[in-house]
Amino acid sequence: MPFFDSPDDEEDEHLTVRELLTEMKDISEVIVDLAYAALLFDSQEIGAEVHHLGSRMDTLNHEIKIRMMLASRTKQDAVQLSVLLQVAEGAAAMSKAAGDIVDLLELNPKGSPIVSLVLKEAEEKIRLQTLSEQSDMKGKTLESLSVETETGMRIIAIKRGIRWIYDPEKEVTLKEGDVLVVRGTEDGFERLRRFATGMEKWPVYPQEGP
Amino acid sequence: MGPLEEMLLEIKDTSELMVDLAYSSLLYNNRDIAEEVNQLDARMQELENDIQEMAVQNAVDDKDIKKALLIIRLAQSVGEISGAAMKIADVVRRDVPPHPVIQLSLRETDIIITAVTVGVTSDLAGATLGKIKLATNTGMYAIAIRRGRRYIYGPDQYTMMMEGDTLYVRGPEDGEQYLRDLANGTVHLEPKDLK
Repeated sequence: MPFFDSPDDEEDEHLTVRELLTEMKDISEVIVDLAYAALLFDSQEIGAEVHHLGSRMDTLNHEIKIRMMLASRTKQDAVQLSVLLQVAEGAAAMSKAAGDIVDLLELNPKGSPIVSLVLKEAEEKIRLQTLSEQSDMKGKTLESLSVETETGMRIIAIKRGIRWIYDPEKEVTLKEGDVLVVRGTEDGFERLRRFATGMEKWPVYPQEGP
Repeated sequence: MGPLEEMLLEIKDTSELMVDLAYSSLLYNNRDIAEEVNQLDARMQELENDIQEMAVQNAVDDKDIKKALLIIRLAQSVGEISGAAMKIADVVRRDVPPHPVIQLSLRETDIIITAVTVGVTSDLAGATLGKIKLATNTGMYAIAIRRGRRYIYGPDQYTMMMEGDTLYVRGPEDGEQYLRDLANGTVHLEPKDLK
């Protein structure tokens, strides 16, 4: 552990805890969306990913607790670090809630359409969109597209054949036939749909000077 | 939609707003916003109780126990999410200066929270969120608007933005600069963005 290697190096210690906390926050955001998506599409596969992310969250939460205890030397430290721990607890509680939502799959939500009805009416909806052959989004990376900035829709997962890519990284290149699981408003979905079906060209902006 | 569906919808949307507000309050060490999370929690508790009651009543009437269980457990889980938001906002309400690492890591996440001020020449001044299609055009989703000393939490498509307003938004990092330019009036929306 870097903490033991250089106990006096405050920078290093912060970097580590910071990375832990950043990852916890990232998971806390995507895991709830994935849990709702699992319910909405009645998908055990997405549910399994939620549980997988949940155990990653537990590991991170455990790790951050250990770091905090080791870092605490004075009462002042303890007060400040306890605040950090509480934030971590909050993120972990969200992932726990997401796990509980996924466990509702056992109750066969498909038999009670109320859940999908509610999820479809929510302000920010979760929808599916297939990338057509005509779309010029295909062959481009998520980084170059900036889909969310352009359309307001966030890609929470991609289904490619029988494979899933959850919370895709910027380096992922979109392919024809990809099913995008997206979250956002009705308006934004309409715009994304036009690009994904090839009805409209993906906008290209002039390169800004240095 | 029946009353039960509407209440479920409200707790889902409220829980998400609470999470966004909680992280915003933490990032800006803003007690007003943290206090709102607390207020919303009271509303969540109320709704959760009503949902439970109505779901049980429905089960008595139509004997569909699984459906009632599903609804009660979903409401409970959504309640846990709002509880998590409370935990986070509570940090700000306790008046302990947040550890700098918290703010640093909040700025590094995939989804950032930021605040911009609406300038006099901005397209946003005097327009509703719905007309501007803020989320669609910038990727940034409005969480709250501060107008003078007042706040509008969870603004909707009919909410008007005014010069001097501070918008608290959530979205991808690469949407931030564009929104900032739009807000201070250095760039403008094109007609095609508004249709």
